[in-house]
Amino acid sequence: MKRFLKLYVIEQKLALRSGDMLIFGVAMPVGIMILINMIAGQKQAGEGFTYLQSSFASLIAVGICAAAFMGIPLTIADYRDKKILKHFFTTPCSPVWILGSDMLCGGVTALLSAVSVALVSVVFLGYEMMGNILAFIGSWLLTLVSMFSIGLLMASLCRTIKSVNAVTSLVYFPMLFLSGATIPYELFPSGLQKVANFLPLTQGIKLMKAVSMGIELENVWKIVLLLVGITAVSTVISVKTFRWE
Amino acid sequence: MNTCIEVKDLTKSFNGRTVVNGITFSVEKGEVFGLLGHNGAGKSTTIDLLLGLKKPDCGTGTIFGLEPSTNRKAVFERVGVQLQSSNYQKNIRVDELCKEMSALYENPEDYRRLLRIFSLEKLEKSRVDKLSGGERQKLSVALALINDPEIVFLDELTTGLDTAARREVWGHLKDLKKKGTTIFLTTHYMEEAESLCDRIFLIKDGKKITEGTVKEVIESSPYENLEEAYLWYMGEEAAI
Repeated sequence: MKRFLKLYVIEQKLALRSGDMLIFGVAMPVGIMILINMIAGQKQAGEGFTYLQSSFASLIAVGICAAAFMGIPLTIADYRDKKILKHFFTTPCSPVWILGSDMLCGGVTALLSAVSVALVSVVFLGYEMMGNILAFIGSWLLTLVSMFSIGLLMASLCRTIKSVNAVTSLVYFPMLFLSGATIPYELFPSGLQKVANFLPLTQGIKLMKAVSMGIELENVWKIVLLLVGITAVSTVISVKTFRWE
Repeated sequence: MNTCIEVKDLTKSFNGRTVVNGITFSVEKGEVFGLLGHNGAGKSTTIDLLLGLKKPDCGTGTIFGLEPSTNRKAVFERVGVQLQSSNYQKNIRVDELCKEMSALYENPEDYRRLLRIFSLEKLEKSRVDKLSGGERQKLSVALALINDPEIVFLDELTTGLDTAARREVWGHLKDLKKKGTTIFLTTHYMEEAESLCDRIFLIKDGKKITEGTVKEVIESSPYENLEEAYLWYMGEEAAI
């Protein structure tokens, strides 16, 4: 465990050093949070809730989106391409160590992002959560785990750096803009809302929103089941198809 | 002397092309063993099969009598490996890479001592991607020694190095040999094989051509130095 932590600390330093995750995962959602609040914070986004309340949950998911659909698959593909994963096979440790430490780095990015958005919202924008905080943390964790499993799946299915780059762009940007993570879902025309509903992250954000606003969403259990299902299926396929080199 | 590496009838095909074809050899403790052949002759695949990185179609490769693929912990605590053209994480510093590699072993060497031996200590805080080719190769050898291994595998470690850097690396390997470390190396530089290897094994298209001490290999050819003998064995006398 101590040795794993040593490995993780170095991987975490490298992740922070590159800076991408801090910009896309942390600075961006905080900036958008402030912007949305300046434009429409107290306006009603839907029945009985404001844009600030609606965007709180969705912007907290941006860190998950950045880590799951960019950070994790790109790092794994890069390490595979550089034969770093292969090199781990020639040591007493399993390459699972380095995968684990990079997943943990992604989790830390998502957490850092969520904490920053929450701090800014509560301290500067006067946000108060109507729902149960513990339930909200649970919904955040479920969203994180299910999205990370999709990120792992992307890294497993794509064989080359090029294809991973293409797929991350194809997945990351729609998830970022169409899931309601950045542009409020309530602003979408109903046709686009239907399309957005197909994105797994949309479902995670819907769940987090519902929990944060204390709404008894009738299909909340359906979403939970869906996310658990996504996690199970993606994890099984990734483990079955994963290539170390 | 006792045998520490044993390879029997190792065979591997990719897409119908046989890359390694019935290779058999053994390496004694303390020996410097050189696997020689052209690019694409099957040297790296042989190492991959022996280390359990790839599954052989048939045949076995054992280290200390164990199959590495099923005894990874036991084998790789005592074996150091430098893979061909190793790359490292973006932005990683020399000391961070050393710490990361040390973390993988139960009783790692003091990496600062290794950096001193390879005169890399001034570069401890440098980014690995900023190092010169020679410095990076020296670092990759140092990393292969971080667990103070009994056997070290070096795959084309001096490819791309200038003469001075190559000689420096040879010097380090000779010191290792004096210490009793078994060295398994692949190369296509005959000078390197002559200077370092106790025994050499020539392969072409995945098949054994000949094996023996450098002297034996030269003597059973019509030529007087290893480079010419090598070309003769490879059927490329026209180049001599």
